[in-house]
Amino acid sequence: MLVSDIKSRPVYERLRLDRAARRHLVIADMSRPLDEVIDGLGTATAPIDHWVVAATSAVDARPAVERADSGSRVEKRAFRASAHLLDRLSHRLARETIGLRLYAVGEEGFIWNVARLAREAGMEAAECQTAHAGSLRRDVFCVHCKTITPGVTTSIAACSGCGAHLVVRDHFSRTHAAFMGVQADAEAPGEYAPAEEIFP
Amino acid sequence: MTGSALALRVVAAVPLSPTLKAFTFEAADGGLVPPSGPGAHVRLFLRRGAWSRKNAYSLVSNPEDRSHLSVIVRRVAQSKGGSAFLHEEVSEGDVIEAGLPANLFPVVRTARRHLMVSGGIGLTPFLAYIAAFEAEGTPWELHHFCRADERGAFAALLARYPASRVHIHCDADLAGLAQALACQPLGTHFYTCGPALLMEAAKDLALATGWPPVRLHAESFGAAAEGGEAFVAVLQRSGIEVMVGPETSLLDAIEAAGVEAPCLCRGGACGQCVTSVQDGIPEHRDHFLDAEERASNRLIMTCVSRAQTPRLVLDL
Repeated sequence: MLVSDIKSRPVYERLRLDRAARRHLVIADMSRPLDEVIDGLGTATAPIDHWVVAATSAVDARPAVERADSGSRVEKRAFRASAHLLDRLSHRLARETIGLRLYAVGEEGFIWNVARLAREAGMEAAECQTAHAGSLRRDVFCVHCKTITPGVTTSIAACSGCGAHLVVRDHFSRTHAAFMGVQADAEAPGEYAPAEEIFP
Repeated sequence: MTGSALALRVVAAVPLSPTLKAFTFEAADGGLVPPSGPGAHVRLFLRRGAWSRKNAYSLVSNPEDRSHLSVIVRRVAQSKGGSAFLHEEVSEGDVIEAGLPANLFPVVRTARRHLMVSGGIGLTPFLAYIAAFEAEGTPWELHHFCRADERGAFAALLARYPASRVHIHCDADLAGLAQALACQPLGTHFYTCGPALLMEAAKDLALATGWPPVRLHAESFGAAAEGGEAFVAVLQRSGIEVMVGPETSLLDAIEAAGVEAPCLCRGGACGQCVTSVQDGIPEHRDHFLDAEERASNRLIMTCVSRAQTPRLVLDL
């Protein structure tokens, strides 16, 4: 295994509402109570949008309006799937103005896809916080065929593009929002360690 | 500071207003001027007999055009000599020594759009910015604040650009700027250059509108250096003591004593003149040291800062 103290491996802190913001957008890959994923709700003044992936076709398209403890307006919207949410996010960001802060919580593949869209829309890293929650499974970028294999839980995994057995590294690419995978048996074809479940 | 010097010939010295004068220089050897980028400045080495000064001026010329360098100099009422010398004693044909262009106020290359606020002569770096933005097609917007009697001079410098991008304000009303700050798309960066009060007000307004500090960029030439209590600077390595008078800066006093001290912007911004303090307590007036460095009292920016104690011992 090539797991190490590679610097590109993201380190996460708990999300915290930035009091300097004029608007907040909190994005989660599944429905989680807002106060469990983010701090600062008690003193928030700016309106908060809360977008979640419902992972079901039975979503209510209408936003639900709640109030945070501070009285801040919270508008919650559910999306059928993460692709649906990410599609709406890129449209939203194209119309946004400076003053927005974005927060993403969930599995790493998801939160870094949010961060990638933010970066592509011109947001700075300081305007987009990420926090990991849920499974440790990884999206793995095959450095040979460039295919991203989602949801890998094992130390070695078959690439969904070229079928190569890839060693899943700690080396993380923010551009691809994925961990690097390199061919496990490059030197001795057919010889590689058995796959272990290490990203439950 | 780099020792390499340029010889520049004045090819035009044109008054723009009673206190503003534009100077255009070509390389004295007839070649191309050195490369620079938008926001760069050049230091002019001004000499008259025993008197000498090195003053930094923002380049206003398009950096892509290597045929010449241009600056605009404001004649300062309480001039320490540099601007008065340029206004009164430098004319076409003269050759002036200068340092290589350096850039302490570069454009953020990843920005999608640029919003600029300038006050008075603080417009100068943005003239180079705008030339670069126009050449590459990056959207920009300028809010320029100036006195009513100088509106014409500044408007003339900006006349070639679309009126929709240029907003000239002759009062202290920041409402137009506030409106602009509230509607900038996500990739915008914000730059200020001008009097400290204007830059502070513009920065505060941006922060209050939700702009993160990483998007805010400030050029801060001059203005910080004003006099104060006289004190004695002990230059430990040189083994001399220098009297710093109430109207003189520490850096000027050190230079007058014949000691070579590092410096660049002479405005407390660039960090080049940072010097170790061995004893005594500095009175910090710079924009460079962070709170921790200030509190340690171990460092001083000689160009603008002074002393709280009657003596200040420096590693010079």
